[in-house]
Amino acid sequence: MGEVIVVTSGKGGVGKTTTTANVGTGLAMLDKKVVLIDTDIGLRNLDVVLGLENRIVYNLVDVIEGNCRIRNALIKDKRYPNLYLLPAAQTRDKNAVSPEQMKKLADELRDEFDYILMDCPAGIEQGFRNAIAGADKALVVTTPEVSAVRDADRIIGLLEANEIHETYLIVNRLRMDMVKRGDMMSSDDVTEILAIDLIGIVPDDENIVISANQGEPLVGSDSLAGRAYMNIARRLIGEEVPFLNLNERNSFFSKLFGRRK
Amino acid sequence: MKADNNSVIIKGNKYGIVVVLDPDIEFDELKKIVSKKFKESKKFFEKAKMAISFEGRKLSDEEQKEILDIISNNTDMQIVCIIDNDPKTEELFKKTLEQKLMEIESATGQFYKGILRSGTSLEFETSVIIIGDVNNGARVVSKGNIIVLGSLRGNAYAGAGGNTNAFVVALDMRPTQIRIADTIARSPDKPVKDETKEAKIAFLEDGYIYIEPLNKSILNDIKL
Repeated sequence: MGEVIVVTSGKGGVGKTTTTANVGTGLAMLDKKVVLIDTDIGLRNLDVVLGLENRIVYNLVDVIEGNCRIRNALIKDKRYPNLYLLPAAQTRDKNAVSPEQMKKLADELRDEFDYILMDCPAGIEQGFRNAIAGADKALVVTTPEVSAVRDADRIIGLLEANEIHETYLIVNRLRMDMVKRGDMMSSDDVTEILAIDLIGIVPDDENIVISANQGEPLVGSDSLAGRAYMNIARRLIGEEVPFLNLNERNSFFSKLFGRRK
Repeated sequence: MKADNNSVIIKGNKYGIVVVLDPDIEFDELKKIVSKKFKESKKFFEKAKMAISFEGRKLSDEEQKEILDIISNNTDMQIVCIIDNDPKTEELFKKTLEQKLMEIESATGQFYKGILRSGTSLEFETSVIIIGDVNNGARVVSKGNIIVLGSLRGNAYAGAGGNTNAFVVALDMRPTQIRIADTIARSPDKPVKDETKEAKIAFLEDGYIYIEPLNKSILNDIKL
């Protein structure tokens, strides 16, 4: 039986879609059968980040409304054969589907897939309720900013109110240099406020922007962010993986002798 | 003047009932209507215990007794006391009652376990002890005292019924706002960088809210 995981944050622009794409791809690289569902109806972009936009024929709303079967709408990834995308509709809005329909859809996919990742839209309205409807677990993405942490806190409360108690925190776009100067919250500060289990710390990395623009997830690459995402995927399947040493990039020796693995 | 349906009116308030009596009709006539009215509402009052007061007509002690007899003969309710229809005594009565209620609110309490996250608001009729954090954007309201065994980062409103002796205690005190009775204090605009986490108490004194470390002398000053 597959597991349904919602990737959510409350605030927009903190990296939900990037996280979904990278963690999903990471799980596929670990030989899991994965489907990524873009629930951001009307503002889809998971397909863009994955570089699959040109393959979309049917979408989530088509499946829900019965215009096609699920397998017609699923897009097979170009790199990993066990990674699939169910794209969002672009011409409709969040009210085109209901939480009950989403739950039914997620449950149907459980038989075939190991992991069903829901990319949640920003906000706490209909789109959010749709995305969390069938979820067993949640990955809460936040950046080390007060506004993002505040929204994440609200989201965790709403998840609990909806009986989703297994929530994991991803602190995204951490800048160690700023943390050291005391200008940014550390991942410890964020974890202390939100009081849920930390599953990943992703450093701020310009390669993420490049990879998103190229439609090639960064996960699995040698970059710090790529490794951080891979670690999250491995922790999700139950491996014990220590957190990355995010300082190594700035150390003089690593520059001289190349990065340590 | 002829007696009509409005010659006797029964009104309820927070503390009991008020019986409004027509001043212009014969007392014997009035007694009949009182008897009729209370008979009609016997079911409604059942065995309620309440205070009673009379309005609209000046009654002699004798008359008052007669009417009370009529009421107890026609209903099952118990008249606990008669309140003079005098605003001053009434005010005093209310005050003592509310004072008493307030004491009960602060002196009794309940526990709440869990983190209060942004967007949640909890309200308590009594004092409350929260085992967990109160995060930014969350709110606790209590008619009594609030004790947070964790970080208080959101809003706390103690003494919501007007009790100025109410206080707020937190193991880590960094609230957005604290309200005690009708006084509001907010956090400083520039965050104070104190790394020490120590238990603190917020209390009201001379119209100002003070936040101080919990120590013996302050604990001695607490009034429940």
